[in-house]
Amino acid sequence: MRRAILILGAALAVIGPMLPVASAADKIHVVATIPDLKALTEEVGGNLVEVESLARGTQNAHELEIRPSLMLKLRRADILIENGLTLDSWADVAVQGANNPKIVRGAPGRVDVSRDIQVLEVPSTGVDRSMGDVHPLGNPHYSLDPGMAPIITQNIVDGLARFAPEHRAAFEKNRRAFLARLDEAMTRWTKAMEPLRGAKVVVYHPQWIYILSRFGLNQAATLEDRPGIPASPAHLTHVIRQMKEERIKMIIVEPWNDLKLATRVAEEAGAKAVVLASMVGGVKGADSYIAAIDHNVNALAQALR
Amino acid sequence: MRVLVLVFVVLCAVLAPAAATAQDAAALRREIEQLQKQLQSVTERLQRLEAQPPAPAPVGPGAAAPPAAPAPSAIDLARPRPPYSLYQQRGAGQLLFDMGIAGDFVGNITQHNVEKAQGGTFAGQENRFFPREVELSLFGQIDPYASAVVRIEAGEEERGGDIAVHLAEAYVTLLTLPFGTQARFGLVRNRYGYSNEIHEHDLPWIDRPNVMRNFLGGEGLNEKGVEATFVPDLPFYIEALAGVFNGDNENAFGRTSLQAPLVTGRLRTFLELGNEHALQLGMSVASGQTAARLPSTILGWEGRYKYRPDGWLHPLVTLTGEALYSLRQFNVDVDADGDGVTDSLDKKHKNRWGWYLGGEVQPWRRWAGGLRFDWSQYPENPGAEQSIEPYISFWPSEFLRFRAAYKRTDRTHRDGFDLNGGSARTVDEFLFQASFILGAHPAHPF
Repeated sequence: MRRAILILGAALAVIGPMLPVASAADKIHVVATIPDLKALTEEVGGNLVEVESLARGTQNAHELEIRPSLMLKLRRADILIENGLTLDSWADVAVQGANNPKIVRGAPGRVDVSRDIQVLEVPSTGVDRSMGDVHPLGNPHYSLDPGMAPIITQNIVDGLARFAPEHRAAFEKNRRAFLARLDEAMTRWTKAMEPLRGAKVVVYHPQWIYILSRFGLNQAATLEDRPGIPASPAHLTHVIRQMKEERIKMIIVEPWNDLKLATRVAEEAGAKAVVLASMVGGVKGADSYIAAIDHNVNALAQALR
Repeated sequence: MRVLVLVFVVLCAVLAPAAATAQDAAALRREIEQLQKQLQSVTERLQRLEAQPPAPAPVGPGAAAPPAAPAPSAIDLARPRPPYSLYQQRGAGQLLFDMGIAGDFVGNITQHNVEKAQGGTFAGQENRFFPREVELSLFGQIDPYASAVVRIEAGEEERGGDIAVHLAEAYVTLLTLPFGTQARFGLVRNRYGYSNEIHEHDLPWIDRPNVMRNFLGGEGLNEKGVEATFVPDLPFYIEALAGVFNGDNENAFGRTSLQAPLVTGRLRTFLELGNEHALQLGMSVASGQTAARLPSTILGWEGRYKYRPDGWLHPLVTLTGEALYSLRQFNVDVDADGDGVTDSLDKKHKNRWGWYLGGEVQPWRRWAGGLRFDWSQYPENPGAEQSIEPYISFWPSEFLRFRAAYKRTDRTHRDGFDLNGGSARTVDEFLFQASFILGAHPAHPF
């Protein structure tokens, strides 16, 4: 009897740790290029998915260093969810090193969630690099606008359901529940931002146009000379003068950009430099999609009041 | 007859609706339900589109107000969308692959005797400024299963000579092989060690490390053949590579035949110590025959460490090191009777090695400074050389870079560096480089 208990105990000790692994193995393994898409995929996928992000919220998603650790994440992915519009083109290099045919470009496991997005700032003239690091397909930072979440999540549902059609109803249900919560929050955000409609802001990098347009704010200038090109002293002088003349109260700074420079310019112009979450996890507390938008709306409302 | 025809037409007109009503009512119901679903889907999508903010002014100098984008029609919205497609973002008239040009101009200033002996870093091009490599890259997907890269290079290979154009790389990568494998065939820069596969304009220094040039030649290992990689599904990253090539590299191999092929292998792993520290380690092997049909094997070890404070756009500290160990057999002339005439050939093993270690600090986004130390024996000749090379880099933007370096090289022997009566035992050089990228360029791996 004692021996039997010992054997059973040993067997449990061996099998026990494997049980959660088996349960994790049943989940759809999704990798998103940026944390916003990770957060939205988690909302839609619920407990049917296990999601990882390649970029972290504090990083600049334009220029991610391709580490083999990213390839390791992609090696096991069933689905890769990408932002598209050339923001995360670097994912191609990581995918090539991952040796995973399920997520190569053109495979069903590759989901570009920019489908159906009405893209802003699409260049209407020929672009070249004299204009800076312009995205030729338009501004790719649409996930910062909560109004885009219905389209993004619909694309995520379609992508997940391609892999697991039997779970489409569950994904749709999760999506509806998330959108209901988002709608509630949107009412709150719209109310908070309503008195500020028409206010002007300066941004460090031009990636905020979607959320600014959503709440009726105007982007008056950028601290960067041109996208991706560091500001010259002459450009900064011009921005400071403009901010003083137009009584602009706020400079929006990305977590990865030079806050010291933005603060100096803001102080010169009698304004505030405020760090917003450029992605989920970009600032403390912005650890879910709604929390990140909450942070951004509160910070905008406080600075512009 | 006319009456008969008239009766037939009337019968048809009367009976046709009756026949239609006799159709399967269930089928009609299904059709109506399907149409209702489509209408619901169209309504939802229209609501989503209407919920989006208005488009602001387009970017671009002197951009006039754009014509309003035509609203998608109900037919457009109802049209079934492909679940996925290649290049769905690309418009009409656009290429189905990417194209880029990288230019790399280098120059050096050194002593007259070094120029005479052609013993500088850019042998034969001492005290000159010249286009080392202007590279046209074409890359993209061939189909859902494979991608291709073609690189054509032009550069001044001889002092004041014509610009030579040649095919630098042309390979196909098979992306959808099973069991975590991938294969590449064609003309490739071999994934041997850290720096060999990097093109001149992408190197973290102006020049290739001495040990790489001494053991593999100025062009490095650039071979025609097949290589396959395997990334097992493990909790940590490891990549195994195996390749079979002609063995065209004259410096180390040169057999140029698949009957005695050059076989390569590499194991690479990666350790991430938190978000800020990352270390890549690898070891490589290349084994084949020389033109004299004698065995030649080169073993390599590599390491690269980066410290990137969280949120930084660039690493603060980068350390890179590689070591090569060459095991090679040579024919040696034997003069048995001492009459100055070779009586026979003897085979002799020569095991030689070399290494380099470089450190770089980049406190600002646009500026970096570093130091590289090289020590290397020669695979065939006696002696060794050591160099120290401090350098500074400046990037006005991501696509333009200037670099300047001072390099001092000390050699224990002057063998091989004594052409035209010159001597290059001690070499002092100022090196400079200007590189640019025009158009597309894939992201750089770690």
